[in-house]
Amino acid sequence: MQNVEHKKDWTLTPGAFRRLLDWLGEGTDSSGQSYLEIRRRLVAYFDRKNCPAPDDLADETLNRVARRLDEEGVTESEAPAKYCYIMARFVFMEHLRGAQKTDALLDDLRRRQPHGTNLAASETDDGHAIKEKMLNCLEQCAGNLEPRSRETIIRYYAGKERAKIENRRALAEELEITMNALSIRACRIRDKLEDCVRRCVGAE
Amino acid sequence: MSKQAYNDQIVTRYLLGSLPGAEAERLDELSFSDDEFTEALETAEKDLIDAYVQGELSGAALEQFKSYYLASPLRREQVRFAQAFQVFAEKSAAAQALEVEAENPAQAATKRKVSGWFSALGVFTVPRPALQWGTAFAALALLIAGGWLVFENKLLNQQNSQMAARRDALSKREQELQMELEGQRTISAQTEQELARVREERERLGQELRRQEAQAQQRLTDERRRAPAGERPSPPGGVSIASFVLTPQMRGTGQIQTISVPSKTSHAAMRLELEPHDYSAYRVALINQSGNQTLWRSRQLKASATGDGQTLSISFSANLLKPQVYVLRVTGISANGASEIVGDYPFRVVKE
Repeated sequence: MQNVEHKKDWTLTPGAFRRLLDWLGEGTDSSGQSYLEIRRRLVAYFDRKNCPAPDDLADETLNRVARRLDEEGVTESEAPAKYCYIMARFVFMEHLRGAQKTDALLDDLRRRQPHGTNLAASETDDGHAIKEKMLNCLEQCAGNLEPRSRETIIRYYAGKERAKIENRRALAEELEITMNALSIRACRIRDKLEDCVRRCVGAE
Repeated sequence: MSKQAYNDQIVTRYLLGSLPGAEAERLDELSFSDDEFTEALETAEKDLIDAYVQGELSGAALEQFKSYYLASPLRREQVRFAQAFQVFAEKSAAAQALEVEAENPAQAATKRKVSGWFSALGVFTVPRPALQWGTAFAALALLIAGGWLVFENKLLNQQNSQMAARRDALSKREQELQMELEGQRTISAQTEQELARVREERERLGQELRRQEAQAQQRLTDERRRAPAGERPSPPGGVSIASFVLTPQMRGTGQIQTISVPSKTSHAAMRLELEPHDYSAYRVALINQSGNQTLWRSRQLKASATGDGQTLSISFSANLLKPQVYVLRVTGISANGASEIVGDYPFRVVKE
């Protein structure tokens, strides 16, 4: 992290991390799932703000929360998710100020500007190779899915426009769930596939 | 969290970074504190990416997607995944359909039929008696619909025929008007030619007139040179006008000009040479010198410029002239209306 001022006199200890996990789990042992979920939301938040390093900012936010817990004890006034959001806002503001000071914003802009061409370039240069690799990984990852999940996601995304909507409606009726529940289910299967493909492409 | 706090449109705008600050912050907070919203947000994001991949975005949404959404490397990665996933989903769906067909062709055929629009009638899934009644009813409905279509078709044909006839009539009228217009154009052209010819003739006659006038003037000048104070001989054939040129009487010279007036002359035309003056107009009076009686008066006259000086042209009845001495008295009228005698032109008349 370059743009955010670090509290260098404090480091995350295993004890502080444990307190953070407990606090995020709100008294239940989530085996770190609550931490992963809140971190995922933090990364998504900073990414939606077009911050160049959303993972770093998410970790910085969680570090600050852990430090506050370590130094001042458990805060009862806010729910963990909301408290993390408030801290994330501070981190984001500091990031913006730091970016302005160090002209990092210009770097951001430079990074943002050629995005269309980056995508286009990757399409033309090694885009085909990446796509091919992704397709192979998709086949692999989809093969690892439960047959029911595999069928669900294939049928969920089959067809276009009106036909696609009709397919989804029929699928929801078959599964005896609402359209909303179906979309959440398909979304989770797709996330799982996406994670798998990312690992697969990175590993190859 | 109530879903009324957001809708698909707001969520899409939020994802595209086009919501106002306060509204975006509200959804930022929801994305942490409201699980339902978080799920809706993720689903909406996938739909948005799919819409882009399938070319369903357009206008401002497409522009915003390219300029804002694709600014993030993570999201570009998601778009790449969606592109690959799209291909995978299509291939998988096609393969699945082929598998079903290979395993059970009859079932696949039925499934295809059922999944078609005709399946909405439910004809193939109801018991046989109902099927018969249903078929009969459908046939009757088709018969009525067919009859109605035939009737409508006939009506349309009639309307078409009427419109065609009307169109032909309009075409014919258009041709007539076109011809009429052409005729008028021809007449107009002829008129223009005639007008040009008349103008040319008028110009020619004008030139001829000017030429004749110049010749007459020349003749008059020549004659005056030959006989400066004499009478002008009348043209042969008994012309009724006699022309004379009179010069102003010089002081100390008692010589009076003599003019000879033919007996058949009806009018005497005199040209009086003026001494230099700057009067705006003149009047001339014919005076019987012996009786000091004014016999004739002219209206106001303008002097004509000739060579070195000016002249006045007058004309009066020759019957006024007897064989004796007369005076033509010229009065000058200035711009302010004042008048004064500027010269006398005595002459003696001799009758032929």
